[in-house]
Amino acid sequence: MRQRLSRLDTTLSPYLYVAPFFLLFAVFGLFPLLYTAWVSLHDWNLLGGHTFVGLDNYGALFADPHFWNATGNTVGMFALSTVPQLLLALGIANALHKRMRARTAVRLGILLPNITSVAAVGIVFSLLFANNFGLANWVLGLAGVDPVNWTAEKWSSWSAIAVMVDWRWTGWNALIYLAAMQTIPADLYEAAAIEGASAWRQFWRITVPLLRPTILFTAVIATIGGMQLFAEPLLLASGRIEGGSLRQFQTLSMYIYERAFSRDFDYGYGSAMAWVLFLLILVASMVNFALVRRGSR
Amino acid sequence: MSLRNGPSRRAAVLALVAVTVLGMTAACSRKDDATADGKTKLVIQTFGKPGIDQAVAAFQAAHPDIVVDHQKLGELRDFQPKLVQWLGAGKGAGDVVMLEEGVLLGYLRQPDNFVNLLDHGGGDLKGNFLPWKYQRGLTPDGKKLVGLGTDVGGLAMCYRTDLLAKAGMPTDRAEVARLWPTWEAYRAAGNAFKAKNTGAAWTDSATGVVQPYAMQGGDTIFFGQDNTLIADSNPNVRRTWDYANSLISDGLTAKLTTWSKDWEAGFKKAAFATMPCPAWMTGVIKANAGDEGAGKWDVATIPGGTGNWGGSYFAVPRQSKHPKEAYELAKYLTGKDGQLAVYKEVGAMPSSPQALEDPAFRDSRNEYFGNAPTGRIFADSVRTMRPVFLGARHQEIWESVFMPQLQAVEQGKSTSEAAWKAANAEARGRVG
Amino acid sequence: MSRWVGNEKPARPGRGVGAATRLWQASPLTYLALVLAVVLSAFPIYWTFIVASRSNDAINDVPPPLLPGGHLVDNASRLLANDDALFLYGLANSLVVSLVVASSVVLFSTLAGFAFAKLRFRGRHALLLVIVATMMVPTQLGLIPLYMLMVELGWQGTLQAVIVPFLVTGFGVFMMRQYADAAVPDQLIEAARVDGCSTIRIYWNVVLPALRPAAAVLFLLQFMQTWNEFLWSFVVLDPDTPTVQMSLKALATAYYTDYSQVFAGTAIATVPLLLVFVVFGRQIIGGIMEGAVKQ
Repeated sequence: MRQRLSRLDTTLSPYLYVAPFFLLFAVFGLFPLLYTAWVSLHDWNLLGGHTFVGLDNYGALFADPHFWNATGNTVGMFALSTVPQLLLALGIANALHKRMRARTAVRLGILLPNITSVAAVGIVFSLLFANNFGLANWVLGLAGVDPVNWTAEKWSSWSAIAVMVDWRWTGWNALIYLAAMQTIPADLYEAAAIEGASAWRQFWRITVPLLRPTILFTAVIATIGGMQLFAEPLLLASGRIEGGSLRQFQTLSMYIYERAFSRDFDYGYGSAMAWVLFLLILVASMVNFALVRRGSR
Repeated sequence: MSLRNGPSRRAAVLALVAVTVLGMTAACSRKDDATADGKTKLVIQTFGKPGIDQAVAAFQAAHPDIVVDHQKLGELRDFQPKLVQWLGAGKGAGDVVMLEEGVLLGYLRQPDNFVNLLDHGGGDLKGNFLPWKYQRGLTPDGKKLVGLGTDVGGLAMCYRTDLLAKAGMPTDRAEVARLWPTWEAYRAAGNAFKAKNTGAAWTDSATGVVQPYAMQGGDTIFFGQDNTLIADSNPNVRRTWDYANSLISDGLTAKLTTWSKDWEAGFKKAAFATMPCPAWMTGVIKANAGDEGAGKWDVATIPGGTGNWGGSYFAVPRQSKHPKEAYELAKYLTGKDGQLAVYKEVGAMPSSPQALEDPAFRDSRNEYFGNAPTGRIFADSVRTMRPVFLGARHQEIWESVFMPQLQAVEQGKSTSEAAWKAANAEARGRVG
Repeated sequence: MSRWVGNEKPARPGRGVGAATRLWQASPLTYLALVLAVVLSAFPIYWTFIVASRSNDAINDVPPPLLPGGHLVDNASRLLANDDALFLYGLANSLVVSLVVASSVVLFSTLAGFAFAKLRFRGRHALLLVIVATMMVPTQLGLIPLYMLMVELGWQGTLQAVIVPFLVTGFGVFMMRQYADAAVPDQLIEAARVDGCSTIRIYWNVVLPALRPAAAVLFLLQFMQTWNEFLWSFVVLDPDTPTVQMSLKALATAYYTDYSQVFAGTAIATVPLLLVFVVFGRQIIGGIMEGAVKQ
């Protein structure tokens, strides 16, 4: 009898433990997901009626230049912000992985951006990147460079947004890397030092390869977040959902919001785009995942 | 790692969770249509600073069987999508909702979401409003009244006396008004100002002159009376476009985007000398310019004499369970007494001609703006304004299509012709 | 690639070959770079407190003011007197919601993470992939149907609506799974099994204590995220049952914002976060998110 109970326990417990997540997800996650898929197959105005149109919305979005513009902006901003962010985080983690005074304070300090309120962040960075009276242009002026109209070009607006995003997340990623670095045994480095390897070489030949799974973990998380950029570009645009006079920095999330909630309330079209965004994120993350599997063998 | 720490902490957390959940369920409040003693409960949802507290209190005093729950839902940009979602879900919207005029226009495309106020006698209220304000609450065919007007913005020209003086121009508001009786004169004055090299621009952005210019220039703007898109063929639109671009090419604007941080800082830094301003903008200017700006600002009539920017309406969503009482509430709040109460509370300009004539409003002055008789100035700007047909998608076509293109030209990213073509193509694409 | 166990102490090479020792001491340049990083990271929060203590038009000053002014009490009292914002009530609600959600997420994530990492059952790989996939769903996708669901359940305007959908998160499960994988030795579990422990006892006595540092970090992260959440609360709650973020937004008036009041509120609203931060922050030293290390 005891044997039977114990075997029941071993077989059933895992399912019981993971059940809460799936139960909640089924109700609060899956239902909205499926509902939105259903909506995306209709010409569905938020305020009016709806008619079934099959895949028309999807066809329409592939022909929509604003959709492609938003997608290009999103991917570009994501790349521009993620790569420096993770590299910088690696560097900071490496710097922190040394003996020094006030370690705790520094480690907590670089996590402060995550608890700073969005309102404060928005205002500080709007002031930083304002055209006429912004701090960034003021500093550039000191260096003899012409002021940059940050919201007017793709490269400048993307850079400004990348700065905002990186500011918020670099410390977070650095601490993840730091934890991973702390599990690398000292003997590896000592052996390399004996052989005369410089700090630089040690970093690239020992630290980074061993950190590969971690790096890709952070890359996946960054992908999920980066493809959904909404708050930062909106702040740069002073709340205007078009993201620049010629949509220079309108992301996909912003365009979805514009069509579904603030322009013509085309809920069906917005839902279709949201599903395409989801698939995009899925693909990008799966690519990362595949690399992880291969890299850690 | 002691074993005692883990489990006991976990137990404490579980206990905390249990207690909090129990506490929550006990404290949670449900929405009821009627209060315990059988009175009718009306929910009115507003954004910004509607200033209706006194008016609501007065209404409740006059209607002892009605209780009004006033929900203040933050800024317009947060409230608007929320309202849309409630309307779409069929639940959650109040009995009376506040619609900003641009928002109202959009909703006019789907008037069935709202109660037709004509059914409750709204037609009788026509004389209580400025003609153009009343007309905007109607669907294009005139058969449905969706909103009753609350406040209006009016339009005048705010200017900096010190900058004009620096350029050797008059600063007394009567004389200043004579500088720009027409828009062409305004442009000429701007060029004269520019020649004096004060370091400031003439105006903040070319986008500010578009609405007043277009509203003075014809009976229609982007849409014809039959709701077809006529932006590319309406001479009014073309003239307005060319005028705004002439200001840009003359170098008269500071190229600021309204509401941006740069724009707010522009007040303090004396970046521009003039700015088309509605009544409510005087408060914004004062807040942004601060104490340093006191005594440096004044108000004069706008070129062309009439204009309006902003204002709201009260509407009754179809999902309301008490449309009749809701109508009464909206009617009171938008009546003469209600609007004067609002004016006294937050300084919002009434849309009722009777209220505008009331000495309480008419004789008011603005201390910050050199004690200008703002009541008179702004009231005059709306009284003779002609009703212009805007169309349900006017706000969208202006704000999301033409305005960004104009800004692109202002930023040097496009030319007047290219932007004109792009704007019209996009408008055509949106409207179909 | 072998696995390192024993993550209690950070690998701290300090002895041994002279060259290695020198490489591990922070140089002045490193100090400088890190100080710069901290200053840049901390500036906006510092600036929040500065603006909270000044008058309204100071917000647009460039270069920005660096010293506190004398208006903090004045701004704060205006804030507390503001009936539209119900600031203190919003603080209390946010506290309840954030505590409950963070606790619940930690509880359920450790359970599920343990199961995925250490227990054998059919479909564990597929289910894990599903969980990760759920993290990729854009938020706007579900806003309206979720709202309709809340109305159906009668939860619109109640705190349940902002708590129940978030009692478990995919990120939490994923993170705990990674950590359990690396930090809980299989041998320990085997030993417990041999001793006749049921799975729940293994969880309670073996796994949980080992997961403590990562659980603390997850609590911190989840608390922060819930505290700062605005969009969903705003859609589903009423202004008379606000969270602290809603209260802050309610301070913004018609056409211009009284920044000094808003920032006084923001500063006060950041204090609980800072407290949780400092309390749990000690856990961040040494061997936190081990879960990110190996798969």
